[in-house]
Amino acid sequence: MVDSAKPVPPIWCPGCGDFGVLAALKKAALEMKIPTHDLVLVGGIGCSGSIHNFLEINGIHALHGRLLAQAVGVKLSNPALTVIAAGGDGDGYAIGMGHFMHAFKKNASIVYIAMNNETYGLTKGQASPTSQIGFEGNIERPFDAILTALSIPAPNLIARTFSGDPKTMIQVLVEALRFTKEGRGFAFIEDLSPCVTYNDTYKLWREKVLDVSKVEGYDPTDRKAMFRICLETMDSGRIPIGVMHRPKESSREGLEAKLLGDADGPARSDISVAPNLGAYQKLLAGIA
Amino acid sequence: MTTPAAKTSPVPDTAGSGAARAPPQLSDVSVMIGGQGGDGTLTVSDLLGRYFRKRGLYVYLSRNVLSRIRGGHADASVRGSRAAVAAVKTEVDVLVAFDKEAIEIGKAELAPHGYILYDSTTFQVDLPNATGFPFATLVGGPLGQPIFKNTAAYGALSVIFGFDPIETRSVIEERFQRRGGEALEKNLKALEIGRKAALETPGLADRFSVADGDAHDFIMTTGNQAVAMGFVVGGGRFFAGYPITPATEVMEYLQRYLPAFHGVVRQAEDELAAVNMIIGAAYAGARVMTSTSGPGLSLMTEGIGHAGAAEIPIVIADCQRVGPSTGQPTRHEQSDLSHLANLGHGEFPRFILSPGTPEECFLITVDALNLAERWRLPVILLLDEALCQNATTSRRFELDKVRIDRGERLTGDAVAALTQYKAYAFTESGRSAYAPPGTPGVWAEITGNEHDEWGHVTVNPTNRVRMMKKRMEKMIRARDELPRANLFGPAEARIGIIAYGSTVGPVREAQGLLTAAGTATKLLQPRTLYPVPVHEIDPFLQSVDLCYVIEHNYTGQFGRLLRETMPWHHTKLRALTKYDGSNFRAPQIVAGIKEVG
Repeated sequence: MVDSAKPVPPIWCPGCGDFGVLAALKKAALEMKIPTHDLVLVGGIGCSGSIHNFLEINGIHALHGRLLAQAVGVKLSNPALTVIAAGGDGDGYAIGMGHFMHAFKKNASIVYIAMNNETYGLTKGQASPTSQIGFEGNIERPFDAILTALSIPAPNLIARTFSGDPKTMIQVLVEALRFTKEGRGFAFIEDLSPCVTYNDTYKLWREKVLDVSKVEGYDPTDRKAMFRICLETMDSGRIPIGVMHRPKESSREGLEAKLLGDADGPARSDISVAPNLGAYQKLLAGIA
Repeated sequence: MTTPAAKTSPVPDTAGSGAARAPPQLSDVSVMIGGQGGDGTLTVSDLLGRYFRKRGLYVYLSRNVLSRIRGGHADASVRGSRAAVAAVKTEVDVLVAFDKEAIEIGKAELAPHGYILYDSTTFQVDLPNATGFPFATLVGGPLGQPIFKNTAAYGALSVIFGFDPIETRSVIEERFQRRGGEALEKNLKALEIGRKAALETPGLADRFSVADGDAHDFIMTTGNQAVAMGFVVGGGRFFAGYPITPATEVMEYLQRYLPAFHGVVRQAEDELAAVNMIIGAAYAGARVMTSTSGPGLSLMTEGIGHAGAAEIPIVIADCQRVGPSTGQPTRHEQSDLSHLANLGHGEFPRFILSPGTPEECFLITVDALNLAERWRLPVILLLDEALCQNATTSRRFELDKVRIDRGERLTGDAVAALTQYKAYAFTESGRSAYAPPGTPGVWAEITGNEHDEWGHVTVNPTNRVRMMKKRMEKMIRARDELPRANLFGPAEARIGIIAYGSTVGPVREAQGLLTAAGTATKLLQPRTLYPVPVHEIDPFLQSVDLCYVIEHNYTGQFGRLLRETMPWHHTKLRALTKYDGSNFRAPQIVAGIKEVG
């Protein structure tokens, strides 16, 4: 047995919602029986983005907001890897917004967990894109990631979980890991993960969350119905949680499958000259 | 290593209108073709280039286009020469004009013996050395479309130059055969229309003749194409980019080349995504590259710094254009060097490599991929617009010069023999072995935060100093692996010139002119610009009395780097710079050297 990087103790405050994600990730990965060396976690910048340090895993710490671009690069380079991107709402919905929107469109088979605490915790409690009006003087309306995700017509898995409900979270994570393992595409999970120090919303959110699967007409394969259910739930002052979209088709819609089929991909190609010589000669003969 | 003797065109005697005398022979010919974007000026230059190549001439094609899809004046020039030239010729022998602007611009560049051929469909000019044919009307009737006017103009040119009719025709066949029956047929008809018009005009046939050359075993290519080919044979399998002039062709070529090798090319949503996608792919173990130009480079700066700190091997091809801001997207400049040498916040190592010809683009791209992986850092391929986009005759790219060196990359078997795997291990060589994710039995933390050997984040000051040294000393340790400088000219010359990138072409031609005028010079072409190769440049500067640093920017950026790294040579260095958007022509360099003194 070779010694590899060991997890370090979390930097999070006691009671942080991110602990829920950490525990759920461990359980889901165990349930899926993914070998450690095949698991990659791309972390963003912020408290939540440091999660890769606390797991026995291949961890890569991306730049602020750029985790999805890096995660897509990892997956397209070696499709055999299980790739999870994890970061916060500031990372994903502010500085990373361009990449966030395009991740749905690209539909590479990666899991993205956005831990939403409606604040910038690590820099001590500034308003974030999801902050409510009035929080730290915020006068801009909060952004809703689920409605945005539903607005992009791609065969993604879309869900919202709550750190106060670990059982559902594990269930959704397992589904997401399976979804990406099958090469079906992008799995987005927004986890409501309270910041106990700067925006302690545990009690409020526990009262407000509503499991959409219990709403009449719930059908995650029907984008229109889910858009309506989410809007109506929000209008009634509640926060919709659960699986919001699950594509009807179970085909390999993932970007890596479309580009590479069953090929090993760029990272595992034999790039020495000898086995490629004939093809290289043909390539060079193309310029006269 | 030979300095090409500069050929000055013999001035042809046109007094007899070519009737009784043998036609004046040119061994170095230049044709400028100007018109509105969409007039097909580039096609004419391409056809002429193909013909000259058939006759064994060295060819250099350049273009002056506007950043728009259609319309606006654009011009192209084609040069065919018996000497190995890699620059635009100063004087134009024949100007082909599809609009009035072409005449206004081209007249000034016309040689005393020069001739103007123009499309008189919409305008007339009253000049003694000009002939107009209504090409658009001539082809518009029989062929139904005026767009074939450019091929008709090529036909008329072939008469003026006394081209071999069969080879003139086979050029059209080669150019249009892939487009199929109708396109080929109509272009052949247009050719004959143009030829007939010129042949029926007294005094036009055989005004010039062009000497054959002996450059036969050559290919015609651009730096952008060479970089794309070098990337593939260098084992590059993942490319992400964002469209930007003049870098886009690298991505377009790779979109054609890479799928056959199960490679991946992605057009990203912006340059931030492009550089981070290649970072992710390189982390996962692929050989990667992106290509961009100034504005995109500014955005990628963040990611390049991250790759430097996290020790992730990436290659960035910077096809320089006029900056700052959007600058002049289609024009030539070499003004990103200062930015690249200091690029990013904080301090991290990087190599900046500078090819000067397509062949060097091909081989140095392979070097860049090897160096990036061996030393686990960002490598920048510094290109420029003229190098990227001007097509030239080039020696064939040789596969037996291609070596793949992945550094201390760990495979499953090698890992099994280890007791521990630290992705940032301190070693004698300064290089840490790397096992990409997916390697059975091991995993690592990779981060741009300061980290220990395991990749764990730490603020320990002793570790910080060791890690900084580990990274920064790559620029010292790798010295002898970096591409070496080329030297052109006699060792005993006391006047030195330093130039890099496409500037080397016109400088070598200028050396020929200077030699003919009795001034011996020697040129050092560094092919690594950063870290500054002091071990190559210091002895060179010691061997000369003074040295001109010739480059395309306002402040003399490489010259400033030389002064900074070798202040003891301060008094020897002279800056000769140009920043008007076009690349140097040889006589401008000769004049510039006289002026600077």
